[in-house]
Amino acid sequence: MLTKFETKSNRVKGLCFHPRRPWILASLHSGVIQMWDYRVGTLIDRFDEHEGPVRGVHFHATQPLFVSGGDDYKIKVWNHKTHRCLFTLHGHLDYIRHNHYVMSASFHPKEDMVVSASLDQTVRVWDIGALRKKSVSPADDLLRLTQMNTDLFGGVDSVVKYVLEGHDRGVNWASFHPTLPLIISGADDRQVKLWRMNDTKAWEVDTLRGHMNNVSCVMFHAKQDIIVSNSEDKSIRIWDATKRTSIQTFRREHDRFWILAAHPEMNLLAAGPVSPVLRILHPEGSSSGSNKKTWIIPKDSAGRADYLQEAKKGAGGWAVFVARNRFAVLEKSSNQVLVKNLKNEIVKKSPLPIATDAIYYAGTGSLLCKAEDRVAIFDLQQRLVLGELQTPAVKYVIWSSDMETVALLSKHAVVIASKKLVHRCTLHETIRVKSGAWDENGVFIYTTLNHMKYCLPNGDSGIVKTLDVPVYITRVVGNGIFCLDRDGKNKLITVDASEYIFKLALLRKRYDHVMSMIKNSQMCGQAVISYLQQKGFPEVALHFVKDEKTRFNLALESGNIQIAVASAKEIDDKDHWYKLGIEALRQGNVGIVEYAYQRTKNFERLTFLYLITGYLDKVGFMSKIAAQNSNLMGQFHNALYLGDAGKRVEILENAGQLPLAYVTAVTHGLTEIAERIDAELGENVPSLPERKTHTLLIPPAPLMACGDWPLLRVMRGIFEGGLDVTGRAELEEDDEAAAADWGDEDLDMVDASEVMAYGGDGFDIEHAEPNEEDGEDGGWDLEDLELPPETETPKAAASARSIAFVAPTLGMPVSQIWTQKSSLAGEHAAAGNFDTAMRLLSRQLGIKNFAPLKPLFLDLHMGSHTYLCAFAAAPVISVAVEKGWSESASPNVRGPPALVFSFSQMEDILKAAYKATMGGKFPEALRQFLNILHAIPLIVVDSRRKSMK
Amino acid sequence: MKSMASSPPDQLFGLRNSFYVGAYQAAITSSQSLPAHDLSPDDLLERDALLYRSYLAIGSHQLVVNEIGPSAATPLQAVKLLAVYLSGDAANKESVVSRLQELLGDPAVGSNTILRLVAGTVFMHERDYAEALKHTSSGGTMELLALNVQIYLHMNRADHAEKQLRVMQQLDEDHTLTQLANAWVDLAMGGSKIQEAHLIFQDLSDKYPTTCMILNGKALCSIHMGNFQEAEALLLESLNKDAKDAETLANLTVCSLNLGKPATRYLNELKLSHPDHMLVKRMSSAEDLFDRACQAMA
Repeated sequence: MLTKFETKSNRVKGLCFHPRRPWILASLHSGVIQMWDYRVGTLIDRFDEHEGPVRGVHFHATQPLFVSGGDDYKIKVWNHKTHRCLFTLHGHLDYIRHNHYVMSASFHPKEDMVVSASLDQTVRVWDIGALRKKSVSPADDLLRLTQMNTDLFGGVDSVVKYVLEGHDRGVNWASFHPTLPLIISGADDRQVKLWRMNDTKAWEVDTLRGHMNNVSCVMFHAKQDIIVSNSEDKSIRIWDATKRTSIQTFRREHDRFWILAAHPEMNLLAAGPVSPVLRILHPEGSSSGSNKKTWIIPKDSAGRADYLQEAKKGAGGWAVFVARNRFAVLEKSSNQVLVKNLKNEIVKKSPLPIATDAIYYAGTGSLLCKAEDRVAIFDLQQRLVLGELQTPAVKYVIWSSDMETVALLSKHAVVIASKKLVHRCTLHETIRVKSGAWDENGVFIYTTLNHMKYCLPNGDSGIVKTLDVPVYITRVVGNGIFCLDRDGKNKLITVDASEYIFKLALLRKRYDHVMSMIKNSQMCGQAVISYLQQKGFPEVALHFVKDEKTRFNLALESGNIQIAVASAKEIDDKDHWYKLGIEALRQGNVGIVEYAYQRTKNFERLTFLYLITGYLDKVGFMSKIAAQNSNLMGQFHNALYLGDAGKRVEILENAGQLPLAYVTAVTHGLTEIAERIDAELGENVPSLPERKTHTLLIPPAPLMACGDWPLLRVMRGIFEGGLDVTGRAELEEDDEAAAADWGDEDLDMVDASEVMAYGGDGFDIEHAEPNEEDGEDGGWDLEDLELPPETETPKAAASARSIAFVAPTLGMPVSQIWTQKSSLAGEHAAAGNFDTAMRLLSRQLGIKNFAPLKPLFLDLHMGSHTYLCAFAAAPVISVAVEKGWSESASPNVRGPPALVFSFSQMEDILKAAYKATMGGKFPEALRQFLNILHAIPLIVVDSRRKSMK
Repeated sequence: MKSMASSPPDQLFGLRNSFYVGAYQAAITSSQSLPAHDLSPDDLLERDALLYRSYLAIGSHQLVVNEIGPSAATPLQAVKLLAVYLSGDAANKESVVSRLQELLGDPAVGSNTILRLVAGTVFMHERDYAEALKHTSSGGTMELLALNVQIYLHMNRADHAEKQLRVMQQLDEDHTLTQLANAWVDLAMGGSKIQEAHLIFQDLSDKYPTTCMILNGKALCSIHMGNFQEAEALLLESLNKDAKDAETLANLTVCSLNLGKPATRYLNELKLSHPDHMLVKRMSSAEDLFDRACQAMA
């Protein structure tokens, strides 16, 4: 992977990764030092104190320091936390040669030393420990450094520990070995020099020659025993640090790299080219972790096919095995794919359907072709596109183990598709997707820069765990995730897979699993509950929740009225009882409705409920309650419901509504009361409306007082009834489908019979025609006879093959070879040559009566050949089974037949027989012994062990 | 190597391969899903021939005889003759052979590849290998070449079979029939070749849904390598797919015998459902042979 950071400045002169944080320092030609966060690609800080280009920069391994060296002959030590230059080392002052820029400066990883390289042809090691010794605490130390600077750096020589002289030209780079007392330097004399130092002195150890031009940067690799150097000859060279020999050279024709940096922990190398762009190379493509593979081969280079044996190399953009003995090589220039065999010979060429820049395996004989904006599956044998899918530029292709599903990873998305590239789901990520693998249940596990996530077949995804450092998943086994870190080291991360396994079980309707997971694990948590609710499994969620309000809501949602009642009792507030009442009413559970209304003291609703359920006595009871509560309106309603006119009058009278009471009494013919009220009213007797037909408001009498209404069928929770229900539903569907099928078939049959009928007619007609033709043929025949020379030719042509071809003679069956080679009765019997077998036995053992051996002979013969069905209608081929097969056996050389009786078997029977004898089961034992005696003559023994028995 | 130019998509590719690897029911289903109007007349004929041959393979001889009318094209007539031959008695067989000879002698249709294929098959059953080769040896289709391989193997001439295989490999090494023929030859040659056959069957089972034919192929390789346990497992898997598959029953008998297990049930089942199977015939003649030899010794 390559990340580019564009900077406004011109050339990048120096680079350094922070040992722990995702930061990189870049020193620029303009004199500025920039600090970048390479994960997000933003500029964090800039330090601008050097005059003129800054060449070398280096972070301190443990402290918030970095050192820089520039063309102003100065070495500066900075604190990037406080954004201050702590002190400046004035060295490399050479008054004879005027060219003495400081080309590089770097810290020792552990000790208080700085090494610098200068165009004055020297490498200097500076001791900054003297400054530390005088300070008490490290924090103070840093602050005091500034003050001490003036005291201690008055005399330059007091801090320069060693001056290394040996290069003949200006030295461009020098750096310490991460652990050993070694220094490596590279100079314009095209040499890389290795230096050794101890407490008192430093000396030159060796010189590495090979670069064709000025060496601009050189360093020890943090983890591997290698030296990396780059040069103005446009190459980067890898050297073996112990043997001091060149291992590998990378050359880029168009990029002249100036500077290198290796991340101390992660498997990263940065190379800064002369062009004003900073590039970071992640050696992600390689995962083996061996020395050579820590380098990424630029993706557009040739020679991807170099995993072949040494002798068989070829050019090609991508190569991938498509069958056991075939691999496909992408030829980008012509957009063709070449299929080659293991001898690297081209077997097939095929143009590709889309402009392909990479190919991947897609099952035997198929390729997954990747273009900028799409992928396609291409069958090499049929040259057919089996499926195509629009995707963002795909980086990785990962097939599930059964090859049924594929995951396509692009920079910010994961696309799951079927093997025919039918889109299943797409997940978008805001940060980069790194890797992924399928677990055995069909869950896709993938990593982004900082998360490990899962993706279920339906597209549901979630976080499995958070990652501190990016990892690259290689394989998922159960809850173990095998992955590589950026050092290329194998790691096993154990994760809690229960969440996605649980969701998968739900998705697959494996409720038994769901149930056992609920019982056994602590699958609690709001996320799971809301997931279940959202996915329509409130009844499952019910099993998790302890909080009564949530429980109540879930119970209502899933219609589980019992649990809802229980929860409502616990909560016991008006709102919940009300909701319960509504749900109970919906379900028709009158008892619960009544209970809910009672709890909320909602008498009006309760009364109405009694009315419509026909419990008039209870309505009466309610009116008593209303009377107690002096609820007039309630009483009146109840009286109305009950059709009790006298009561109504009474209520109206009590309420002082005498005119109304009077009218009611008159209307209902309650004359006595009417008269009494009339008397009370005196003058104010209301006049009754005339000329109207009256109907009295008498409620109908209930036919019956019933309990619950027919209850709505509510799933009692998927664990009891669910399976049955779904099972039944499926069955029904099946039946329907089957019925539909039948229907279709019926139609077909009708059609067919019609056709037959018509066809029958047709046949008759046609039948006549062939006859005529036959007649004509006959005529031709006659003519043929008359004109022999002309007819000779077609006949000759037709029979040419039969004449020219001479069938070979029959070969010798393997069984015959067996009998020829062998003088063992058993092998003859296996070959089916019973007479020779018998003759052999008679001669060798004097056996006369063969009848008891018949089944043995037949079994031997039967077990000696297998049957191979080749073409359906053709007779089967029988294949002789030989004994003692080995991988190296040469073909067509016949071994002895495999015999169905073996010595070890006999031993087993013998043991059984002994046992039977011990147990006194003599007939059984006798039978066994006879068996052995019968079989022994036919057994072929390699050793002479038989005689011992 | 065939022409590099891209040819029109081969509509019958899937159908053919299903047939070759023994997925007959799949072949029947997929041939019905191939719309007739999309196919050239030649393809249409081939489709129908494959369809009826698939029916033959699952034992529906009578269906084929009934469905192919007298006006059907030569290839279908040939398949019908094969059906009559496979289902018929001795007299029927004779008439089929003479009718075949008649057709083969007809210059207008005599060179039809399916007719020749049927002829080769029938003469193989007749054990007249010279006559079979007379019609098939000139090749013309991969199927004919593959049939040649089989005929040579029946003649115990693995050397000739191998030559024929080379021809197939030159034409199309990746063709399913080439792969299969390679495996047949490897099995017949034995020795280290068994491994190669095993790899081929393994490849086929990776590529296509497993069929009795492929499972039997794998099992055979195991048997010949001496892994009877493994073979038994494969054959039982095959038996689960089709409880009456002749080769599965025959090979299970052989395998069980070699494992020292009772084999009678498989043998009896084979005798019942496939009285004409080579194993059954071979054993009945072996019994006669034994009795005669016994008498001779007495």
